[in-house]
Amino acid sequence: MKNRIKLALAQISTRRENKEENLGKIEELTTQAKTQGADLAIFPEMCLTGYVVKDQVYELAETVPGPSTRRVATLAKKTGMHIIFGMPALSEKSRATLYNAAVFIGPEGLIGTYHKMYLPTHSVFEEKRYFRPGYQPAAFSTALGNIGLCICYDLFFPEVTRLARLAGAQLLVCISASPAVRRSYFETLAAARALENTAYLAYVNLAGVEDGLQFWGGSRLINPTGDIVAKAKYDEEDLVVCDVDFQEMKAAEPFIPTLRDLRPELYEQLREAAEHI
Amino acid sequence: MNLTPAVLELNLTEIETRIIRFIREYVEKAGTNGIVLGLSGGVDSSTVAALSSRAIGGDKVLGLLLPEKETLNQGDMEDAILVAKKFNLETQVCDITRALEGFYETIPIFDAGDRLCKGNIKARSRMTVLYYYANKLNRIVCGSSDKSETMMGYFTKWGDVAADISPIMDLYKTQVRRLAEHLGVPRELALKPATPALWPNQLAEGELGIKYEMLDLVLFGLERFMSIEEIAEQLRLDNDLVLKVKKRWLSAEHKRRVLLAPKLGYRTPGQDFRLPRNDY
Repeated sequence: MKNRIKLALAQISTRRENKEENLGKIEELTTQAKTQGADLAIFPEMCLTGYVVKDQVYELAETVPGPSTRRVATLAKKTGMHIIFGMPALSEKSRATLYNAAVFIGPEGLIGTYHKMYLPTHSVFEEKRYFRPGYQPAAFSTALGNIGLCICYDLFFPEVTRLARLAGAQLLVCISASPAVRRSYFETLAAARALENTAYLAYVNLAGVEDGLQFWGGSRLINPTGDIVAKAKYDEEDLVVCDVDFQEMKAAEPFIPTLRDLRPELYEQLREAAEHI
Repeated sequence: MNLTPAVLELNLTEIETRIIRFIREYVEKAGTNGIVLGLSGGVDSSTVAALSSRAIGGDKVLGLLLPEKETLNQGDMEDAILVAKKFNLETQVCDITRALEGFYETIPIFDAGDRLCKGNIKARSRMTVLYYYANKLNRIVCGSSDKSETMMGYFTKWGDVAADISPIMDLYKTQVRRLAEHLGVPRELALKPATPALWPNQLAEGELGIKYEMLDLVLFGLERFMSIEEIAEQLRLDNDLVLKVKKRWLSAEHKRRVLLAPKLGYRTPGQDFRLPRNDY
């Protein structure tokens, strides 16, 4: 494991339903990130297909591994990069069930897949109509360190990143497709999730307009004390390469000892209370 | 929630940016040559003209003035020309009087005294001309409907609301007025009384029975799931007036969501056939 890594916040807009073009963009930006010294390139939620694809998602979803992830794996191998990106995943077992997935690929191949646990189905969102929720938090031990994954609305539920952190994640990655009217919520929550876990958090959002929804970009890296280390432009495509220094976590933990002060007995109360809302 | 005018305040610079981006992206992705819009000399179309011009350049925005003899208002025509000049739009004037007279003569049951049915022909004729230009010039029609009118159903189905994009449909009238001033639309024009111009001297607020400043707060309360009683109490209105607005708000859904078919097949248009709008 390295003490320092460089990651690229690859904030793209997509051409909806055009996997070829979107994969081309992933290849182009990963290569650019590599030339800037990055170890890990992170792309937004559902960036393989676009976010607002409605019923077309049934045609667009692929298994993992599948044609698109194999192509990204080839890219990862060729560049020596780690890559995280979002796509609709078709269950390998059932061949009928879809997940909103974050796929993590390294130079050696597929590292793992995370299935979004909290699927927004309110306001303009209709994810439960299409996707089955995931049940497992994700924390993957890699050559770059332990990296946890979550997706967009998961950020509203601190248990997702907390579970990843307790499973060892030092860098929490949240890929997102957040429209503009919700910007302030995510700016607040991204910082909170980093701070309460004294971990790095990389938030990577879509840019561009899909079906009237304007994704606000604003991707960022937040350090373990909740400060923004690097930030991409609002609304437009951008590529920002920034440094993660895992040593900072050691300094943060004595100052904000949230993990030391966890009270496991409260979780049982929480569980009981949540069952009786 | 306190229903005060403050709830309708906006970050106008941000709203301007978002709408401009929305227009620009749509025009580019649709692969069209630009925009056609109707210019009435009112605040809504003036605002959309300004936004369209800033989004894609005035040379790609054609403003059509569509007068007809019964509702012809020289002041509105002058305002429309003023706005076109200010935002560098091309304009053309199409007097639709003869087309309307053709309709009146063609319809055996035509009733000249029924001003609503007659007026709706005017709105739909204007739409027909706009779409002719759009087809011919490979452009899109940019609509000027605002949220107050849309939620009240105060528009002609398939008429003035018909458009490819509606950039200000999520802004209440009082918000549009502020945005208009922010964009440089002259204040007198931004604040002048609204009219759909379906018959002479028609005024929107008179027909709606409530001033826009108050209507917008009622609609805002309904949007945020407030009860009739709460809204009426806070705004010091009669429950009956708020109820009347709410009934109109609910009953106009057939005008906003226009396709309705009985569910017979596997996926049904207008119901559970959900496809993205896309640039195939």
